[in-house]
Amino acid sequence: MRTIFFKKPIYVKSGFTIVGPKEADGNFGDCFDVCLKDDLWCEKSYEKCESKMHRDAITGAICKAGLKKQDIDFMLAGDLINECAPTALAARNFPTAFFGLYNACSTFTEAVLLGSCLIDGGFAQNVTCSTSSHYSSAERQYRYPLELGNQRPPTAQWTVTGAGCTVLSSEKPVLANFQVYEDDIIAIDKNLNIDEKTLEKYKKSIEKQKKVINLGKSNINSANFDKTNNDYGNNPKYYVKIVTGTVGKVVDLGIDDESNMGAAMAPAAFETLTTFFEDTKTSPNDYDGIFTGDLGRFGKQTLEYLMQKEGITMPKYYLDCGASYYEPEQKTFQGGSGAGCVNTAFNGYILKNLQQGKYKKIIVLATGALLNKDTPLQKETIPGIAHLFSIETEEP
Amino acid sequence: MIEREEYQQYIKKNSPKSPMVRTLVAAFIVGGVICCIGEAIGDVLKVIFKAMTEKDVAIWESCIMIFLGSLLTALGLYDKIGHFAGAGSIVPITGFANSIVSPAMEFNREGVFFGVCAKMFVIAGPIIVFGTVASFLVGLIGWFTTL
Repeated sequence: MRTIFFKKPIYVKSGFTIVGPKEADGNFGDCFDVCLKDDLWCEKSYEKCESKMHRDAITGAICKAGLKKQDIDFMLAGDLINECAPTALAARNFPTAFFGLYNACSTFTEAVLLGSCLIDGGFAQNVTCSTSSHYSSAERQYRYPLELGNQRPPTAQWTVTGAGCTVLSSEKPVLANFQVYEDDIIAIDKNLNIDEKTLEKYKKSIEKQKKVINLGKSNINSANFDKTNNDYGNNPKYYVKIVTGTVGKVVDLGIDDESNMGAAMAPAAFETLTTFFEDTKTSPNDYDGIFTGDLGRFGKQTLEYLMQKEGITMPKYYLDCGASYYEPEQKTFQGGSGAGCVNTAFNGYILKNLQQGKYKKIIVLATGALLNKDTPLQKETIPGIAHLFSIETEEP
Repeated sequence: MIEREEYQQYIKKNSPKSPMVRTLVAAFIVGGVICCIGEAIGDVLKVIFKAMTEKDVAIWESCIMIFLGSLLTALGLYDKIGHFAGAGSIVPITGFANSIVSPAMEFNREGVFFGVCAKMFVIAGPIIVFGTVASFLVGLIGWFTTL
């Protein structure tokens, strides 16, 4: 059976997100932990920025969970760039065992599933599951240079600039938000042996980096003032735990248009979702929230059509994170995508609502289109994959 | 599960399509305006440099248009025009300039040799190859017919 029923409770200890400026203006804008004013964050390239966002998202999540770097047993992380370079560059800052993962946009759910398995098997107490993506670095790898004056097709999606991290634990979390200060995430690594001069340089650059954080939108604290921006800064009221997960199969129904990834991924989402309902003997109405990753508006419509054909009606509250990520006037056509899409939506919006008791029992499914720049040129079709986990809340 | 053929037909039928009328009108107008600017530059050159031959005017006109295309790309404006106009701003010579300058800017971070110089022709490379081959073939035909 492809559905895993975890025997131990796997608690979500904390979630932390860092997003770019366009994401901060989107629908989930007020629930991210850190929003940046520009998408380079004082770095020289977009890949370096993505790596920094990834590193700081992990650091932030560890701080928010009230843990230290040394308390983490395993790190599971991935991104979209070749050979997971930004992730690897971020991981060198941690003294932790590291798994580099790639499943395109579904890497996050893959990481959570594997992390839960590690904890359930008794091999770990705390693990971090993180992913990142960056619009500009993905665009240059998969598509065209940013300044090229071409038109995006109406089926195109917009790669989310964001990084997020979830800390899973076998221990019950404390129902209080550990305050995260901007100094916690942008800090000089104490393990670095550097001379005075370089230290001065580092300090100056840190001041610059702090200025890029849009504190008005972010939910972290600054040295100058403490704040909890909105309801999302409240202390958690419920324990959040992962109960089951379904590992996806690679499904390919012969879609060869790389700008229509929603269509390539929808069959995989359908396959995983129906398998999950069959294995757990449940139906969509048993859950008060169903979230898919980044199918986009058309992909969502396609999934609903495929489910309808099997006689399963998707409830009205079914939400696609990608399709809902941006406002329509942000002109992203089908909505968000990328490894950071479902991750930031989960750690930003969904997790905080679970902790506040808005949702009790939900499904999170992330989909990925498994292609690179060359496979469509070699006349290959695009396989899709979808991994799923379900979450329940527990009253204290 | 749905059959492969049936699924592909469903996707083909239901995928969102480009709004034909809007894109065609935008391409026609912007493409036309770019060409008008080119013609105007030619006319101005003729007035200022009276001794210039028709051929020289055409060469200078192209050079100025290429410069303007590159400048607008460097200022980050050409991609915005392109998002609106599509083929209207890709087909003229300014679009060709954009297709060379934009990768050069993008790959600047990988250094001058393997970044800018190597990646500059990523988009425009095929156009240059086909242009060279076509001119060679036309030249060959011309040579044979005038023998």
